[in-house]
Amino acid sequence: METRPYFVLGDFAVNIVAGVVVASISAALFGPGWNMVLAMIVAMALGMLISLPLALLSGALFGAMEVMVPVMTTGMVAGMVVSMSAAMGEIAFGSAAGLGASSGVGVTVATYLANVVIKGRAVRWTS
Amino acid sequence: MDLVTRNKWDRAAANFDLMAGYGPEKRWAPRKRELFSRMGDGKILFLAVGTGLDVPFFPEGRNIVGIDISERMLEKARARTDLYRGTLELKQMDVHEMPFAEGEFDQVFTSCTFCSVPNPVKGLEALRRVLRPGGELHMFEHTGSRYFPFNMMMNLMTPLSRKVGPEMNRPTVENVVAAGFTLDEVQHVFLDVVKIIHARR
Repeated sequence: METRPYFVLGDFAVNIVAGVVVASISAALFGPGWNMVLAMIVAMALGMLISLPLALLSGALFGAMEVMVPVMTTGMVAGMVVSMSAAMGEIAFGSAAGLGASSGVGVTVATYLANVVIKGRAVRWTS
Repeated sequence: MDLVTRNKWDRAAANFDLMAGYGPEKRWAPRKRELFSRMGDGKILFLAVGTGLDVPFFPEGRNIVGIDISERMLEKARARTDLYRGTLELKQMDVHEMPFAEGEFDQVFTSCTFCSVPNPVKGLEALRRVLRPGGELHMFEHTGSRYFPFNMMMNLMTPLSRKVGPEMNRPTVENVVAAGFTLDEVQHVFLDVVKIIHARR
């Protein structure tokens, strides 16, 4: 597990920013007129797309795949959560940004945990 | 020589260090230093030197031939390879057309290479040919993932990423086996996406 403060703080900061950006855009684009499932699918794809340039830019500072994979996941999750909320009823930008930031923190923690679990599975490759 | 691949990496050379030179290298430095500490006293082939970002991790006093398909990359690499305390010879070369004799090398090292070699199994077979029997292959590579949603994202990204650089969803461990190597160990560095692979001819 990554323990160097520069990278740990960087991982959380980049994912929170990605979550807030995607959530804000999703809140602006989606509303009660949308079918919830359609909104979710469109927002997930859009979230990944929007977060890609953020991942590439911040990757130059904090790492390649270690940044790109969770940031795109955050984009997908933040888009999904906010678009579904917006489809159910109006959502304020502040609330959307909060959901986006929470998505960023959640995905970062989940990625760190997944990393520990998946690393443990490498042993089965050993001949 | 594969001109499409050569031209792609010639174009990428100008901004390569900007994208890969700080964050990724600093993040991977401990694992790369550990990997390259396996460099022995025999003749070593380092595939895809790029701009030479990995050279500072090489142990001193080794006998290394570094190749890359892009002359622009090699031009940038020279500033780093000139500082290496040992023998480090650079050559522009396509992995699929290496003129080295069979079994000429004791070890081969790669670093984020087989995401970009156009025909990875043939490229690995070419490496196997130039390794002596029992010779070692050590790789630091990013690959595709077996796990959702990481695999989905990488599959979606690959058509875009391959136009400017690497593919994101290569099954490199399986390719190593398909090329006839005996797999010794695979270590996961990040999820099952960034890996260190140890194999033998």
